Amino acid sequence: MSFTASHKLAPTRRRKPVRPPGFGLTLGVTLAYLSAGVILPLTAVAAMASRDGAGKFLAMLGDERVLAAFKLSFGAALGAAIVDTFFGLIVAWVLVRYSFPLKRVVDAFVDLPFALPTAVAGITLTTICAPDGWVGRYFEPLGIKLAFAPVGIVIALIFTGLPFVVRTVQPILEDLDGEIEEAASSLGASRWETFRRVIFPTLVPALLTGFALCFARTVGEYGSVVFISGNLPNETEIVPLLIISKLEQFDYPAAAALAVVMLVVSFALLLAINALQVWTARRGGGR
Amino acid sequence: MAQNRRTSSSKSDPLWVRVLLTLMALTFLGLFLAMPLCVVFIEAFQQGWRLWLSSLKDPDALAAMRLSLFAVVVAVPMNTIFGLCAAWVLTRFRFKGRSALLTLIDIPFAVSPVIAGMMLVLLFGSRGWFGSYLDAHNWKIVFATPGIILATAFVTMPFVARELIPLMESQGQEEEQAARTLGASGWQTFWRVTLPNIKWALLYGIILCSARAVGEFGAVSVVSGHITGQTMTLPLHIEARYNEYSTVAAFSAASVLALLALVTLAAKTFIELRGQVRKRH
Amino acid sequence: MSIEVKGVTKKFGDFNALGGVNLDIHTGELVALLGPSGSGKTTLLRIIAGLETPDSGSVIFHGNDATDQPTQDRQVGFVFQHYALFRHMTVAENIAFGLRVRPRKLRPNNTEIKNRVTNLLQLVQLEGLAERYPSELSGGQRQRVALARALAVEPKVLLLDEPFGALDARVRQELRRRLRKLHDELGVTTVFVTHDQEEALEVSDRVVVLNKGHIEQIGTPDEVYLEPKNAFVLNFLGNVNRFRGRADHGQVRIGDLTLDAPEHAALVDAPVSGFVRPHDIDITRHHNGDSASLIPATVTFIASLGPFVRVELERENGEPLDALLTRERYEELSLQSGEPVFIRARRLRVFADDVKPGGEDYSI
Repeated sequence: MSFTASHKLAPTRRRKPVRPPGFGLTLGVTLAYLSAGVILPLTAVAAMASRDGAGKFLAMLGDERVLAAFKLSFGAALGAAIVDTFFGLIVAWVLVRYSFPLKRVVDAFVDLPFALPTAVAGITLTTICAPDGWVGRYFEPLGIKLAFAPVGIVIALIFTGLPFVVRTVQPILEDLDGEIEEAASSLGASRWETFRRVIFPTLVPALLTGFALCFARTVGEYGSVVFISGNLPNETEIVPLLIISKLEQFDYPAAAALAVVMLVVSFALLLAINALQVWTARRGGGR
Repeated sequence: MAQNRRTSSSKSDPLWVRVLLTLMALTFLGLFLAMPLCVVFIEAFQQGWRLWLSSLKDPDALAAMRLSLFAVVVAVPMNTIFGLCAAWVLTRFRFKGRSALLTLIDIPFAVSPVIAGMMLVLLFGSRGWFGSYLDAHNWKIVFATPGIILATAFVTMPFVARELIPLMESQGQEEEQAARTLGASGWQTFWRVTLPNIKWALLYGIILCSARAVGEFGAVSVVSGHITGQTMTLPLHIEARYNEYSTVAAFSAASVLALLALVTLAAKTFIELRGQVRKRH
Repeated sequence: MSIEVKGVTKKFGDFNALGGVNLDIHTGELVALLGPSGSGKTTLLRIIAGLETPDSGSVIFHGNDATDQPTQDRQVGFVFQHYALFRHMTVAENIAFGLRVRPRKLRPNNTEIKNRVTNLLQLVQLEGLAERYPSELSGGQRQRVALARALAVEPKVLLLDEPFGALDARVRQELRRRLRKLHDELGVTTVFVTHDQEEALEVSDRVVVLNKGHIEQIGTPDEVYLEPKNAFVLNFLGNVNRFRGRADHGQVRIGDLTLDAPEHAALVDAPVSGFVRPHDIDITRHHNGDSASLIPATVTFIASLGPFVRVELERENGEPLDALLTRERYEELSLQSGEPVFIRARRLRVFADDVKPGGEDYSI
């Protein structure tokens, strides 16, 4: 078939594509800022950690005090993330689904741990949990130590991590199409079955994201923990505190080695969270 | 009303479940959020407001407040400009390495504040990469105000960018293109079209950034050197007073920061109610 | 201002959006770019506006090469599909924007801008809405604000991307007429993109039919409708019944019908298709010995469409057919569902099929 348009092409010219202005300037600022502010410092840590070779690096990590600190930091963050995921889901559910007086205020309050400086949280939680404190005094006679024990660290981390789970789950719950639940109940599912088979599976990616965020942001937490932990080597010494004490002894390679392990874990979590968020968007956000 | 009844039968939980879950949530929030907040103010005012006021008028406390404010006033604008540039380049262009940049922006959130402070020591401390150079010129970064500013800026780096990127991505470029077809230059388009469209998200990012900056503890603690009256920010001042068992002084300063946190929450909620931004960190 | 598009190509990744398009638009013309989605019509419009750069080829405004000219210097008015109104500005501020961003020397003073805005609001009949925000307007009102905003800068060319696409049928009808009237008043060269053939036929001076990045036909609405150059244009411009057949040495055979088709003299036993629009089909009860040009069929369904009646039929080989009768003719025939009848094609167009092996072949 033939038609009016001729298919002869004009000679190809290389052209700058039409773009919004400001590419060079904004890319320049972004790259400079990130290089100086992120890449350079990370390089310095890596360089310092590897200064004395792999053998020293591994030996340093094998130290008993170091292992105890890692166990405590990861264990406490894990415990806090589990508690926050459970209660975070309940809080998000209650805030989205139910109505009660002052709900708006309660909702805004969930972000308190984020807005309240960690040092303030630290001294306050310590005051509450200390053996003669607001709550601690009721546990003291039972022989349970809240502050200056691993439990205290978990309590501080529960406080710090709470908003992450709630704020990850809440929007997904809000976007959940009510028709899906109606469809489930019209097909004969009970309320519990609807939750278990329809709602909960939709929330799983968001819950996992919230859990990972909570863990990632609390594992390196310092301010809220340092007051309540007691800081006894091998018992209640978290990794950030150990890093500081290595720095104070000018043992930079050891401090850097500890930091590298923490950074590797954090970056792995960061990538996992990014992947989870893509999944969340597809699972929960798709209509 | 028929509508309501239909929804309630299929979409809402039995009364006992609602009561139970609400009580669980409120008890949890009460224990972990409301009680600490109350304790701050009770401890601060336990010996009357005169003592509260005099602990705040203490010269060391005032110096700490000034330094904290100064760090915020320098670090937040830096991060705001960075956030605007990063959001523009990442949402208005597609180029190689774009997703790598997106990940890099998030990194400061994934780094323990203590490690952030340590990085500065490794770079600018007397035994760090640039240590001898700085010493030769008699410049101090670590254990001085510049270090505190850099630590604060690092820890709060992503806030503005993280707020702007999703919004600018979803708003798209059509309004900007329309402005260009109407003859507007690049700057005119930015000032008259882009900026008004993102102003609430920008403000939100700046508020989160400032709240975090004023309360930053771990990173600042590492680089400060704890020189009373010189390199003590407000959170460090609280720590020092608390460790000296000056409970009232510590909690008086803490109550100022707690009030600031409440103002932050109010401002944050206000902007959220205006739409456009969603609760996030 | 006249627009010449010469050999324009554009690729998005592997996708060929435009494959060498040539087009002349005369000063003061109202031209429709018509095609299905993915045909490249919007890309072509955006290239004319300078919102996209062609990979090769050029765009010439009134004899001057404008290919590398940035959008803001082209003096085009562009109406976006979703209007792209500035949501933080009132209607008046939106319309005044193009004037306010002019360099100081060229910028009219405030009184002039105000007058201009007032006049434009009158032109698009939105007086009284000057202080509203876009979110407070209906779809049709937004579209008119977008139009007024584009016209405020006195563009040499007005470009509209699916200007009526997001509106409901009634508003669309009204705004179509308004666009035509506005164009006749202002005389500004206008190009608009649409996928709605009715819109293109009703509003424009000339229609450019695009498909897969190529121009299939350019012509007046009557030309493209009545004299389509190929099966695609015929199909795209309205409902059509298709009859499969074969062409051999200038003779086309469709079922028992044999027709002279001198334009296909070169084909030897090749598959062809005959096309008849539903309103070109007549129905009779008796063949009156004229069986050579009649095709037997059965009425299966009758749908009353107000002034017209659509009769669905089935041929003896089971193929469905649509006929569109005037109500008058329908009442004259008083057809019943299930009745055997004969049909006659008043205007049959035959095009050679694209050679695709394995295609089914029907006969009448």
